[in-house]
Amino acid sequence: MRDLRIGLFLGLRQIQQASLWTTLLIITVILFTFLNLVALSGILIGIVDGALDQVRSEALGDINILPLENETRIKETERLIDELKTYPEIASFSPRYTGLATIEANYKERHSLSDEPNIIAVNITGIDPIAEKETTELENIVGEGSYFDSTENGYILIGKYNIDRYAKQFGDVFNSLDNVYPGDTVRVTVGQESREFIIKGIIDSKADLVSVGVYIPEREFRRMFNRADYNANQIAIRLKPGYDEKVIRDKIRDSSLASLGKINSFTEDIPKFIIDVRKTFDILGFFTGAIGLIVASITIFIVIFINALSRRRQIGILKAIGITRRTIEFAYITQAIFYAIIGSGIGILITYYILLPYFQQNPIDFPFSKASLSISLNGMFLRSIALVTVTVIAGFVPAWMITKQNTLDSILGRK
Amino acid sequence: MKSITGINITKSYGKDELVTEVLRGINIEVHDGEFLAIMGKSGAGKSTLLYQLSALDKPTSGEIYIEGKNIADFSETELVNFRLFTLGYIFQDYALIPDLSAEENVLLPLLMRGLDWQTAKTKAQTALTSVGLINRDTNLPSQLSGGEQQRVAIARAVAGKPKIIFADEPTANLDSISGHDIIELLHDLHNKGQTIVMVTHESEYVEYCNRIIYLEDGLIVPEKCRLINPLPNYANTYLTTGSTL
Ligand SMILES: Nc1ncnc2c1ncn2[C@@H]1O[C@H](COP(=O)(O)OP(=O)(O)OP(=O)(O)O)[C@@H](O)[C@H]1O
Ligand SMILES: [Mg+2]
Repeated sequence: MRDLRIGLFLGLRQIQQASLWTTLLIITVILFTFLNLVALSGILIGIVDGALDQVRSEALGDINILPLENETRIKETERLIDELKTYPEIASFSPRYTGLATIEANYKERHSLSDEPNIIAVNITGIDPIAEKETTELENIVGEGSYFDSTENGYILIGKYNIDRYAKQFGDVFNSLDNVYPGDTVRVTVGQESREFIIKGIIDSKADLVSVGVYIPEREFRRMFNRADYNANQIAIRLKPGYDEKVIRDKIRDSSLASLGKINSFTEDIPKFIIDVRKTFDILGFFTGAIGLIVASITIFIVIFINALSRRRQIGILKAIGITRRTIEFAYITQAIFYAIIGSGIGILITYYILLPYFQQNPIDFPFSKASLSISLNGMFLRSIALVTVTVIAGFVPAWMITKQNTLDSILGRK
Repeated sequence: MKSITGINITKSYGKDELVTEVLRGINIEVHDGEFLAIMGKSGAGKSTLLYQLSALDKPTSGEIYIEGKNIADFSETELVNFRLFTLGYIFQDYALIPDLSAEENVLLPLLMRGLDWQTAKTKAQTALTSVGLINRDTNLPSQLSGGEQQRVAIARAVAGKPKIIFADEPTANLDSISGHDIIELLHDLHNKGQTIVMVTHESEYVEYCNRIIYLEDGLIVPEKCRLINPLPNYANTYLTTGSTL
């Protein structure tokens, strides 16, 4: 206790009298280590989280209802919908209907039958335009053209990967429509029946799942597919802010609705490989962070070691006049803790007030994701605790090495 | 009463053929309340002897008793505590802690002794007053003259009222006026009963001492030792050599 108090006192005085440049240097090293620790893993995770968030907001919603195993559609969809309306936590939901169709474009300009037809096979989705736009961001990700107007009939939205000029990167992996623009007419064929639709807009999402889709209003879908019942293939649910999707999912699962369809939170419907990528990035972030920590600890070690070495005589004198080794070690630990706390404190402030807002406003544009910095307050504190711990060790070891030397040798500068 | 008894102290450095014998069998006694000067030419082993007598170093052979305790028996912690509570040190180059003000330098060992801040501060102030530096207490060592720094060092050494004060050429870095001030301070302390062992070159200061021990090549030279102001309790048979054995 006495050792601690006097060590603190000595340490604080040394900080006060230390050269400004040394202080700045150490704090800068710690600051950059902290930022390296936070920013790199934060961006890596942010890439995945950005992608996940897009899938959530543009496709699946917070909770996603799918047909049960061995079923093609959700049972008693009408009853299910009525029930969902009674949940106060649910902001909106959008039933979707899917079926296979072909889409042909530019068939009027096709002069000879030997010309290759401009045709693709797609999974077409019927949506309620109003429910969909309340539930997902589909309305906001229409690139060319615009979203459905609920009063009109005969319009179609086509995902960009079905359009040649967007899908070039995929080469010949799947077919796409050449030379089609909003306003053009396409022919949609289901079985024997064909109908013409005017392209209203082209969906431009970074979530592939959305960009390969083709969307028409559900009324027209039902007519084309001759669906008598209202049983949907999928229902996307958006929760009101502040509710946890897993909690509400469990609540729905506990109700009788569980017998009608498979109720999943959106993470459960994310392909497993994305979750694996996130884990991998986590580990990568951890390793780069760990290397950063090691480099920082060595730097701090060297600075404190030189500092303590240059005060070797002073340390000898302190010991000679009866100051315990523990006290002197505490003095150096105090300095190390001071530097670590200031350094990571500035780091937290920069991350919180500069980096996070900046990346939120200017997300990095990756092909499959808009990445911003993904770092929790918790994660930041964990990292600063790691940094402080490492710094303390890096401060203690040199102090220990020098205080353990012979007192007289230290005073006389021998050896 | 004997403050220090040194029996057949030797100290050598190096090993095998390269061994240097710096102290070659010193017998010495320091009495309670005595002001002892150790003199001799440069390289004679004066500092080395002082380090042994003041428990800063361990002799190669021989025994040293301080206040009746064999210092070889102490653990490292006990030794640190012993130095803290019983001994005071004054070095040639003052050896102040540059990060601490004059007052804090004096304060530090007092705090280490477990005194609370207020008591320690009062004692530090008293000690600084006694060396005439009370108005410089907030100055850092670098803001003090050499003489002033040495007076702070003396205040630091005496503030805790140690049994024995050791001083290795405390005036060597000072001009003669400052040097005299320092010796006067030590003399005052001695008059109040303080035991002091001092290494010095300057023969003009020896008149303040009770006794001089003269070293040459690691040995006491009896013919050159002198009794200046014998203590009242010195027996007639007390050896002027300082070596009672
Ligand atoms: N660590 C060491 N290794 C080898 N020789 C040493 C060592 N320390 C001191 N010596 C030698 O011991 C001898 C005595 O040294 P000491 O410092 O005791 O002399 P001194 O009488 O105090 O001299 P001065 O008046 O110059 O201070 C010197 O010859 C010195 O070279
Ligand atoms: Mg010497």
